[in-house]
Amino acid sequence: MASTTAPSLFLRNATGLVKGWSGFDAFAYSFMSVNLVTLGMFYSLAIFAYVPDGSAIASVIVTAIGMTFMVIAYAGLIAVMPRAGGDYVWQTRVLDGIPGAVTGGAFGAIALFLVGTALALGDVVTYGGAIVGALIGATIGLKRGGVGFVLSATGWWFILALWAPIYGFILKIEFVQPLAALLGWKEGVDFFGTADGTFAVSIATIVITSGLVALGMAGYARIQRICLWIGLAALAVMFVLMLITTVDTFKPAYDKAVQGMFGVSNAYQATIDQAASDPASAYTGSELDPLSFGPGTLALVPFMLFFLLYPNWGATLYGEVRGAGDFRKVLRGMMGGLWVTVALAVIFLLLAARAWGWTFFNASNVTYVNYAYAYSTTAPPMPIWGYPPMLASFIIDSNIIQAIIVFAFGAWWLGWTGTLFLSSTRMIFAAAFDRMLPEWAGRVSDTRAVPWAALALIMIPSIFLSWLYAYNSDFYGLTLDATLVIAVTFFGTSIAAMILPFWKKDVYQSSPMARYSIAGLPILAVAGAVSTIFLGWVLFMWLSNSLYGIGVGNTTSIVFLGILYGAAALLYVVARFARRSQGIDLDAIHSEIPAE
Amino acid sequence: MRIFFATDIHGSEVCWRKFLNAGAFHKADVLIMGGDMTGKAMVPIVRTNGSWEVTLQDQRQVLTTEDEVRAIEKRISDRGYYPIRLTPEEITAWNADSALVDARFKAEMLGNVERWMALGDERLEGKGIRCIVSPANDDMFEIDPIIAAAKNIELGEANTIPLDGFSLVSTGWANTTPWHTYRELEEPELRERIDGLVADVPDPKRAIFNFHAPPYGSNLDNAPKLDADMKYVSGGQALIPVGSKAVRESILAYGPPLSLHGHIHEGKGAVKLGSTLAVNPGSSYEDGVLQAAIVDLDEKKGTVKRYLLING
Repeated sequence: MASTTAPSLFLRNATGLVKGWSGFDAFAYSFMSVNLVTLGMFYSLAIFAYVPDGSAIASVIVTAIGMTFMVIAYAGLIAVMPRAGGDYVWQTRVLDGIPGAVTGGAFGAIALFLVGTALALGDVVTYGGAIVGALIGATIGLKRGGVGFVLSATGWWFILALWAPIYGFILKIEFVQPLAALLGWKEGVDFFGTADGTFAVSIATIVITSGLVALGMAGYARIQRICLWIGLAALAVMFVLMLITTVDTFKPAYDKAVQGMFGVSNAYQATIDQAASDPASAYTGSELDPLSFGPGTLALVPFMLFFLLYPNWGATLYGEVRGAGDFRKVLRGMMGGLWVTVALAVIFLLLAARAWGWTFFNASNVTYVNYAYAYSTTAPPMPIWGYPPMLASFIIDSNIIQAIIVFAFGAWWLGWTGTLFLSSTRMIFAAAFDRMLPEWAGRVSDTRAVPWAALALIMIPSIFLSWLYAYNSDFYGLTLDATLVIAVTFFGTSIAAMILPFWKKDVYQSSPMARYSIAGLPILAVAGAVSTIFLGWVLFMWLSNSLYGIGVGNTTSIVFLGILYGAAALLYVVARFARRSQGIDLDAIHSEIPAE
Repeated sequence: MRIFFATDIHGSEVCWRKFLNAGAFHKADVLIMGGDMTGKAMVPIVRTNGSWEVTLQDQRQVLTTEDEVRAIEKRISDRGYYPIRLTPEEITAWNADSALVDARFKAEMLGNVERWMALGDERLEGKGIRCIVSPANDDMFEIDPIIAAAKNIELGEANTIPLDGFSLVSTGWANTTPWHTYRELEEPELRERIDGLVADVPDPKRAIFNFHAPPYGSNLDNAPKLDADMKYVSGGQALIPVGSKAVRESILAYGPPLSLHGHIHEGKGAVKLGSTLAVNPGSSYEDGVLQAAIVDLDEKKGTVKRYLLING
């Protein structure tokens, strides 16, 4: 008997009708973006020694709670404007008119105020600059696409040039140096410990990432999938090794390994002693207990964003969102990426404290960071970073097996690094198609469709910043700027999510998000508002608190940020004038044609 | 001469209306619709016990007044779907016999195109704006004569249309797809078709190609890779070129100043292939956004003066 149930729609055979996409794919991309190993272990989970009176585990969880609202806001925007192109298009379509002018004006005022303060230009110039910044920002924001261009060009293009040497540095201390040490290549350890070595690894990173762009996303997606499974298997091995390790068994294993690699005896205790005595570290450290929620816990949150900021990194990539079911799939994917990583991070911290000792773990990190970032001239007893997978492997008395474990962990880097230039080339294409850049910026090669021009536009500044990063110690201190600039872009998108249900009612009402509300308010607006407050607070902390080293107390950082945003604003203004002289009206790009 | 080119609106009422108004709004001399203008889905609005039920984007709604039904019908139409009012008995019959669904689909598509042509005739009357519509691979053949019969709209498919010193050559036939749609050809046959069309052009260097399929490997043809079950590979992030090699070879062989494409909604962009500017404005028809290309041509030099991709 035929069914009496009405389907929600009848489909005919037509191009592009697909059966959707796997929720696991969404999770996998998000999970690799919130990268526990390359971002978390490298930075966020290695800085607890610098922040007293806080809970390490609580800080991870609090950060994830804040990020949960951002994830909801992004999933909602994907549902309202699917396949639209991410931050650039969302901000462009929503932040126009008065909201655009207010947002642009606020950004402009704050930017020039910070530059004036950092350069100590005096009250008159600083406040005058802020007023000028407000006027310029408001003028740019009033034009559709102005705020979207400036925030996206900085967050998805310019700042990724700084990420290149950071990726290189991660490759150096998580892969090259540990392997060189484990395999007995002392010259390699020494060379990569120099500025030349840092620069060489950065260049290698740029070459590898560019190669992955040339390979194309389809090819890279296969590599990513393989890397995910290898990385997870390696992580499972590491957790098992940590589980069967105690401080009593680890200490002699560590001492033996360091003695064998570097000829240093009693390295375990020496590391703890150095951290305690080195004035550069002022080591007091955070607690592990989630119940000891001291004021340091909140101070740790901006550090935790170095890895937890990116569950939405694939926001522009998800398939077409046709309904609430797909919205939930996107949400689950990004939430899974965020919270599975949080769970693994908590397990890692608990195991690190149990297997290696919390004091040693932090001492190992702080002695290396102080030395590598030139806060101290005293090298740590083990003169390379105590990379957690390598520490875990020390319990096995075999350099070959130790090297295999570290090598397998390289999958976490390879499976994630390809997104660096892929993201920026997409932004460059979008800008070229919107005529903000010359036509050649969007060209691809005839044979393999490689975007050489777009690659050059990210590679050349990457090489320059890699050189600065390697040879100018001030630039090491700007590592968190790489996160800040992207957070500013996400902050702009959070504002867009907050106002969209009210400012673009028609678009919102015809989307699957219209059915979701809380206390009579659209969930998209609520999530956007909380995300705006959360990211706004984090930005305030970064820029005002000397703990993070990138705020107004660091002139290099503020000038660097000022140059980035100034360059984007200048590019926008120059493009508008240049195109006008060619008879091209860029306002036409986003002008809605009347339907009636 | 200013050309306004849009494509792949797939039944979106609001996009068609914007297209008809685009000439006056953007001061265009010629409007060109690149095809795939018919919708892909019908949304049933089912009469039950004095009210109506509809599920749109996974949201089930019960409608009690005619105004509510009309409002949801407009929303459905603007997204490119066909709203259809059905009784429970009709639903039962449709579930048992797919031929009934096919017949209604055909009626909806043809009826809608007829209505659109009438609207076009009305809105373009006396405006001095030429409008050329060329069906594409997702459009059934029966719509061609409906377009040809319109007073103020010209049929593009297989016709060489003079435009201020240029010649517009159009075909909506595409290289084969996994969906086996109406107008698909293997690459050699597609090349033969294109060569046959261009043979009628006085000077290929002053031709404007309006070929629905984008050139292969041009970045205008990047689409999400699908697996054997027609699911996105890697969450849609794995993009592969799916354009036509015949179209690419033709562009490089004849070197027209401008080549207009669609087909791949995600493939928005403009690239140079040899001396040709190839454009795919992409499509966001479900959002009610009319993505389009505005191209200014220099009649004396036979070249492209400037272009802009817009979201109207």
